[in-house]
Amino acid sequence: MAEKKRIELMVCTGTGCFAGGAYQIIDELKKELELFGLKEEVTVVATGCNGFCGQGPLMVVLPDNIFYGWLETKDIHHLVEEHFLKGRPVKKLMFIPPEQKEPLPLISDIPFFKKQLLIVLRNKGIIDPEKITDYIARDGYLAISKVLSSMNPIDVVNEILKSGLRGRGGAGFPTGRKWQVASQQSKSPKYLIANCDEGDPGAYMDRSVLESDPHSVIEGMTIAGYAIGSTNGFIYVRTEYPLAIKRMRIAIEQAQEYGLLGKNILGTNFNFEIEIREGSGAFVCGEETSLIHSIEGNIPEPRQRPPFPAQEGLWGCPTVINNVETLANVPVIISRGADWFSNIGTETSKGTKIFSLVGKINNTGLIEVPMGITLREVVYEIGGGIPKDKKFKAVQTGGPSGGCIPAELLDSPIDFESLQKAGSMMGSGGMIVMDEDTCVVDVAKFFIQFTNDESCGKCVSCRDGSDALLEVLTRISNGEGMDGDVEFLTELAESVKDASMCGLGQTLPNPVLSTIRYFKEEYEAHIKEKRCPALVCRNLIEYYIDPNKCVGCLLCIKTCPTEAIKGESKHIHIIDQEKCSKCGQCMEVCPPKISAILKITGKDINNMVQLTELISCKEWKKEHEPAHS
Amino acid sequence: MFENITNSKIGSALVVGGGIGGMQAALDLAESGIKVYLVDNKPSIGGVMAQLDKTFPTNDCAMCTMAPRLVEIGRHKDIEKITYSEIESIIGKPGNFKVQLKKKPRYVDEKKCTGCGACVSNCPTRNSVQLIEKEKVALQPQYVEKVTSIINKHRNRKGPLMPILQEVNAAYNYFPENVLKYISQEIDYPLSHITRVATFYSSFSLKPIGKYTLNVCMGTACYVRGSGILLEQFSEKLNVKVGETTEDHLYTLKAVRCIGCCGLAPVATIGESVYGKLQAKDISGIIEKKKNEAVEYAKVNN
Repeated sequence: MAEKKRIELMVCTGTGCFAGGAYQIIDELKKELELFGLKEEVTVVATGCNGFCGQGPLMVVLPDNIFYGWLETKDIHHLVEEHFLKGRPVKKLMFIPPEQKEPLPLISDIPFFKKQLLIVLRNKGIIDPEKITDYIARDGYLAISKVLSSMNPIDVVNEILKSGLRGRGGAGFPTGRKWQVASQQSKSPKYLIANCDEGDPGAYMDRSVLESDPHSVIEGMTIAGYAIGSTNGFIYVRTEYPLAIKRMRIAIEQAQEYGLLGKNILGTNFNFEIEIREGSGAFVCGEETSLIHSIEGNIPEPRQRPPFPAQEGLWGCPTVINNVETLANVPVIISRGADWFSNIGTETSKGTKIFSLVGKINNTGLIEVPMGITLREVVYEIGGGIPKDKKFKAVQTGGPSGGCIPAELLDSPIDFESLQKAGSMMGSGGMIVMDEDTCVVDVAKFFIQFTNDESCGKCVSCRDGSDALLEVLTRISNGEGMDGDVEFLTELAESVKDASMCGLGQTLPNPVLSTIRYFKEEYEAHIKEKRCPALVCRNLIEYYIDPNKCVGCLLCIKTCPTEAIKGESKHIHIIDQEKCSKCGQCMEVCPPKISAILKITGKDINNMVQLTELISCKEWKKEHEPAHS
Repeated sequence: MFENITNSKIGSALVVGGGIGGMQAALDLAESGIKVYLVDNKPSIGGVMAQLDKTFPTNDCAMCTMAPRLVEIGRHKDIEKITYSEIESIIGKPGNFKVQLKKKPRYVDEKKCTGCGACVSNCPTRNSVQLIEKEKVALQPQYVEKVTSIINKHRNRKGPLMPILQEVNAAYNYFPENVLKYISQEIDYPLSHITRVATFYSSFSLKPIGKYTLNVCMGTACYVRGSGILLEQFSEKLNVKVGETTEDHLYTLKAVRCIGCCGLAPVATIGESVYGKLQAKDISGIIEKKKNEAVEYAKVNN
């Protein structure tokens, strides 16, 4: 590692911050540091995803551990002068917890980071992912040298078995058992695949691991390869993750240069190669058998199991497929021991899990928490609660295969079994928070639309079942629901679950089933009262201008794309419901101080008195305000 | 020969095709007392089902369904099989048709043949490979260099198809038909297989797409923050449906699943640029930005 500088600036360059202009910030920082003659004392490091994506672009100042978020290039001049030259940290760029005034300068004080336990993401934001030396300086590649110098492949399998590590891709199959089966196969060659085809909407854990610490995945793969007796590894990455692919390429090259990949690793006779394979945008490729077909160049449809891939996989050879996060756990387990690892978490779910905490939540970002932590801790302490003081409604875990967990179950722990009991699943780790403004029918429809699009079409139950589910859900959200629709949905969902072959079909009804289970009354409101309680379903809502509030400013008239609003300056505006496309733009532009535009649904629509003629604001006030004299 | 067609109805029927459907039809007709002629252009009846192992959706064995009917037809006094025959012409109207058939020669005496199959297995030329001369596909000059270099790069690795398709797609944004045919010829994969793979993935296209792909993220985080409405607005402003390309070949509008910038939700991307925390009112500005390029791009394209 290069010599220690006085100050190190760890600028996050994960995809979120990258999109927010992190590299422009870095360029600006370098320019300004040069300007102030601080180039020798302060260094700028481009790190992987820091996790606090909601604050991006962001950076952490070491060694003081000061956190700066929402950086803009125009702030940099001031920041460099004040903090790095004069030594006065800049308060206005620090993190300010919602509803509070005083900023929290230290990263360790910020609740988002406080509750987390970093194992897989231990190096996030601390190392430069494009430098192998940084990883080695953080005890990287110690585990592989321990494995190669003092352990048999069987010892490695036993160690992982003992640690209780379970697959982080969703189903939670014990990793050690998978390795054990593969290592017992006599057929060779054997293959190892790291699955980074992370297609769940709202989840980006695996991408972050590859972007912030690619070497830990390489090390984990090498150890796994040694344990099962494989010399060829593949990393299957979505093509939508160009940055992850680039960093992985660099990491593999560097590892080869250092003799940590390739022939005779660390001077032993163990060989291991890693090849990157890209997906091309098919969700079903995350399923292991269809992933194998995709690498082979076949139609990526899943196939019946058994034989399991560990017995007969890629090109008919024994193949272990592990999730990226699972593999990143392996080096830590080896170097710190299975006993240490199995002390973390619950009885059946060991270790930590990374979640991407997104949706209607104050602190959006990536978190790593020990298993067994409650949802409440995650949502309210780490996530900082719901924006604008809205009410928490549900949290959706497990992506399109998971379900919604309502407020009543906020105190249940997060582990494989508890989530399953609640009708959801761990999944790959997406955690989407919904507030009272989210309509569950709409969300269920969204997920079914997704799985309907992505169904490969092999099983009728999944292909046509999702069609039928979508049709009924669309009907309900359009206000054309009929009595018995909910029962029909439940029955249909159960049969799709039973009759489909792969995980995609078996779990696709979960969003429907779990929302019906916990929010049946909302479905009933849509069907019986033609009312959308969350004011989302377009056919069931109407926009309406409150005559008591409208000041006649013309803003909404200018914005309306369908020319549905009529009115004159200083006259109360009126929305023509026939023309209104319910895009909601008028509500967006109406100044917050006035907020005259209302969204209404159900019975309220009939009760609302609609103005028919233009009337000036003054006149209206005169007629309707209580007389003073 | 057909002059004497009268209007009187004839008590016989002709069933065209001796598959499972034709067989059942013939049996039902014969059972109701009508004389049936069962015609098939193959040397034997049975059709496609005879080649199947199991049938959808019950997984019944195909032969178990068929065999009783085959036997029944063979035994029925009112069904006359006319196999290895083509229909030449049909005249008349419902109730009274005249059909002219052309019977192909079998070179065996049908009266004496027991169907033992010994001649088939002893035929000296039956198992020799009969090569069909395929026409060689040549690439258009603008593709030659790039495509051949891509193919040569991956030809010898295991599972070459996906890497080749990905690189070709990256180079041209879509698969020209000829290029797919060429790939099929070079790496010896059936074209049908390549086409199935090429149409399975959402980032591949068989039609030319725009210079820029305008991706609106429909991941959950963006969706709950209103990306659905944004997508509609884009579609309206560009006057294309989702998945289509604008007339000037500048934009292809797509809905994508999570691009992993959930912190910036709702998000849209154009090429490399990412637009976060998007609002409906920003849309026109974003589209206009690249409009100037449209003119040039159209020039090059046409």
